Amino acid sequence: MPALPANLVELLLHTAAWSALTIAAYWISKRLYRRWPRWWLSPLAVTPILIAAVMLSLHVSYQDYLHSTKWLLALLGPAIVAFAIPIYERRTLICRHWPVLLIGMLAGTATAIGSSWALATLVGFDGAMRLSLLPRSISTPFAVEVSGEIGGVPELTAIFVVITGIVGGLIGDILLSRIPCASALARGSLFGVGAHGAGTARAQQIGDTEGAVAGLVMVLVGLMNVVAAPLIVALLR
Amino acid sequence: MTTSKSVRLIHRSAILQIAIVMAGWLAGEVLVRLLGLPIPGSVAGFAIILALLVTRRLSATAMRRGAGVFLSDLLLLFMPATLAVLDHQEFLGLAGLKVLFVILGSTVAVMLVTGLTVDLCYRWRIGNAGPTRQSR
Repeated sequence: MPALPANLVELLLHTAAWSALTIAAYWISKRLYRRWPRWWLSPLAVTPILIAAVMLSLHVSYQDYLHSTKWLLALLGPAIVAFAIPIYERRTLICRHWPVLLIGMLAGTATAIGSSWALATLVGFDGAMRLSLLPRSISTPFAVEVSGEIGGVPELTAIFVVITGIVGGLIGDILLSRIPCASALARGSLFGVGAHGAGTARAQQIGDTEGAVAGLVMVLVGLMNVVAAPLIVALLR
Repeated sequence: MTTSKSVRLIHRSAILQIAIVMAGWLAGEVLVRLLGLPIPGSVAGFAIILALLVTRRLSATAMRRGAGVFLSDLLLLFMPATLAVLDHQEFLGLAGLKVLFVILGSTVAVMLVTGLTVDLCYRWRIGNAGPTRQSR
């Protein structure tokens, strides 16, 4: 990273400025969405556009921006730990229906890998590109691990995971208004299996039970994929 | 958590509760590095905290507010990652549209299959078990 700020004061100023911008953009889009709850005004879509507009007009690269805001990303670690509490508090619901969740996670994971492979083949992707698309529906740390394992490019997979999060957060809402998903269990696992952390955040906004279920299946589906990676390799060879 | 006084302090202070969550995360990271486990440290931390809760060595009240701080604005933490797309100009053209098509199509499929499967199984179980408590 050649554009590293030369001294500590500059680093702190950059961190403060870009973090403040990120938080402000997020806050503004949250207010917008509360006022006009349309899917295209979702904070998941509006916040990055606001930040990107400032970055592009100031000619700031992503590496510089990330350098100043990666502490926010690092907080995703403790956030996953924090999910232990809502999951523990809903243990009766989860223990009673664990077979249902397990079947949903298996079906969802198989669909994620199968449909990614089929659609990638359809548009003419092959080799490392196609493999990098396979683990895109699981949370970044797992996806990067699986991608490397099955012969994809972890860096590309990380990008696809992010796009999946944005897309999934948006279409999850649209799907839920059109299909019969009466139970919080179904709504939560739809988001957790389909769109990892971003989907879980969306589920958390719908309801606490939805959020807890989404958080649980997000973590479990990630683990499931890491364990299944050698199997996927064997199937593809 | 030896005296009831310190327990009450933890139940009131969101800062202390955040510290407990962070400690769980740190313990997970250390454990994963020490044992060379192929899972993220945060997941190990999650497992540690969940195990402590289940074995009642830790009470949920001692962490509920601290956990809420992380979970209420989860989307914000994810935001810096979304800008990574700016670094990949190669996806601005046809390749980008293809990627978007694959991700869109596959995500719709995954969500439909997962949501409908869970909902069907859930209703089937509820139907068989008689009228039990609806989750919401």
